[in-house]
Amino acid sequence: MPPQAASHPENGAVPAPAPHLGWGEGLARFLLTRSPLGLVVRWFASVPGSVHAKLLCGFMLITLVLIAMGATGLQIIAKMSRQSQLMHQAHDRGTWSLQMEHAFAMQMNFTSLALILKDEATIARILRENNRFNNTMARIEEASPPEERELIQRIRTAQEEAMTTVADIANLVRDGRLDEATKLQVAKEYPLYVQIEALINQVVKIEQDKMDGLRRSVAAENQRALILMGGFVVASIGLALLLGFVISWSFILPVREAQGFLGRVATGDFGARIAVPNRDEFGVLADHLNRMSRELQRLHEDQRAAARELTTLNEKLKRASMAKSEFLASMSHELRTPMNAILGFTELMLDGIYGEIPPSLKGPLTDVQANGKHLLRLINEVLDLSKIEAGRMELSLGEYSARDVVETVTASLRSLAAEKGLEFSARVPEDIPPAVGDAKRITQCLMNLAGNALKFTKEGRVEIGVEPKGNTLLYRVSDTGIGIPQDQIGRLFEEFRQLDATVAHEFGGTGLGLSITKKFVELHGGRVWAESQVGKGSTFFFSIPLRVDKGRPT
Amino acid sequence: MSAKTILYVEDNEFNRKIVRDLLARTSYRLVEATDGEAGVTMALQESPNLILMDIQLPKISGLDATRRLRADPRTAQVPIIAITSYALSGDDQKALDAGASAYLAKPYSPRELLDLIRKLAPES
Repeated sequence: MPPQAASHPENGAVPAPAPHLGWGEGLARFLLTRSPLGLVVRWFASVPGSVHAKLLCGFMLITLVLIAMGATGLQIIAKMSRQSQLMHQAHDRGTWSLQMEHAFAMQMNFTSLALILKDEATIARILRENNRFNNTMARIEEASPPEERELIQRIRTAQEEAMTTVADIANLVRDGRLDEATKLQVAKEYPLYVQIEALINQVVKIEQDKMDGLRRSVAAENQRALILMGGFVVASIGLALLLGFVISWSFILPVREAQGFLGRVATGDFGARIAVPNRDEFGVLADHLNRMSRELQRLHEDQRAAARELTTLNEKLKRASMAKSEFLASMSHELRTPMNAILGFTELMLDGIYGEIPPSLKGPLTDVQANGKHLLRLINEVLDLSKIEAGRMELSLGEYSARDVVETVTASLRSLAAEKGLEFSARVPEDIPPAVGDAKRITQCLMNLAGNALKFTKEGRVEIGVEPKGNTLLYRVSDTGIGIPQDQIGRLFEEFRQLDATVAHEFGGTGLGLSITKKFVELHGGRVWAESQVGKGSTFFFSIPLRVDKGRPT
Repeated sequence: MSAKTILYVEDNEFNRKIVRDLLARTSYRLVEATDGEAGVTMALQESPNLILMDIQLPKISGLDATRRLRADPRTAQVPIIAITSYALSGDDQKALDAGASAYLAKPYSPRELLDLIRKLAPES
């Protein structure tokens, strides 16, 4: 028996939600833990064999007991019936004996009557009673038991003698010799009568003794049958209860174990193991459950390892992202500090702080300043995009006027448009409502689009504008520039994309402006798109919700 | 009335030179410090009329230096112009929160800087 067999069903680490604990359950638990029945149950469970075979054996055992009980009962009934028959026989023989006695008495009576009446009719009656005696005698003789044979023989002898005597008396009566007849009767017939009566009484006594014996035997037999049957009933009930208990608990215990086991597994204890002594279907079930538990544990550990790995990876990524942000901040400062010096000194020189500059140097110094500013813009764009990509770009929201945004852009670009000889106009409706958003970024977006339009337009005009549309503000920049082929409009807003290398060469730019614009617009929860015809011009739109609640991190 | 003193806290030599050259033709007197700690010491020592404070400085940052100056009654009222870095989101707000009177993003135009200085501490 495995060591676990000593455990009882309730000592699982996490008990299964106990089913109703009635007194029956308490009794069963007492029997299982405090009596040898527990050992029997575990022994029965450990017997190799299927549940079906075990159940069949149990029922067969009870059936055998019932068959034995039936056979014994039949035997008892047969015996009782035989005894009853013997009783009847003894009773009949007693009755017959008394009839014989009666017949002889009547014979005596009619003999006496014949002596008085002296007629043939009475003599005939004597003979009739004699015949009756003989007939009854014949029945007794038939199948007479050995102990009675001698008695019967003596009765017959006495009877024959009496018959002869009666015949003599009858003849004497007919002859009128009454005195002789009377003497004969007194002297011979009467003693014969006494003799026969005594013999018959002996026979009656024998039969009565026999009957008494039988009666006692039947009573004893009844007693025995009662005890035997009672014993069988008690034994079969006891056996049925025992088998029922052992068989059912040998099945219930592993089910309980499985219940507790599954409860533990369900609460996440994948290391749980189930141990049952059964070597039947329940044993197989327990093996499968253990395999399942092992497999679950393995999967659980794999999953935890994977989760740990992911956490580590996540930490690494977070650290990398932090490092990137710090790098960006420091790069921004590091790049800006020399730019500050370059642009600062150039401005000081152009402003004549270091004295009047020769006219021949004014041009080159202005070029230095313009290229420095261009380089600064490129740096800003790259840093902006990096910050957006790192998810570190936050909008600083506040109330702003769309009119101010358009006017800022117009003011900044007016001189560039004039230089290129382009018509540059702005259109803002009178009733434009105040809005909430990051004005600096929205301005940057419109500036990008308008700057591009001026850059890519050689002649004609550029128009910028804004108008309310539902819950949004729709900004628009249209030009009469080179236009964009239909199949490339969708790719315009991808990073580092310009229509082709020659365009980049001719017009300059990082190719980042549009993608930064797109990201800022999307951070506001808005949308950007373009319409264009090659050779005729393009119109770029972006919509910004009138009131932005919270920036959407990219 | 004597010339007004301006303290510039900045670790980069060239940027200090720009301001030095810018103010050379004005009546302002310029004193310089190259890190946050020295900046605070010099501010208490020189009692300047205006302080230009770079945000990214060695030893202690411009923000911490600003906070210290604001905490000291001798410098609590001196106008401070914070020079911020554009890429650090919310730098402007942080500078104002620390107690700066105004901010200017790098790279700044010397002309604009001079305008701001004149606004906060007019030449006598």
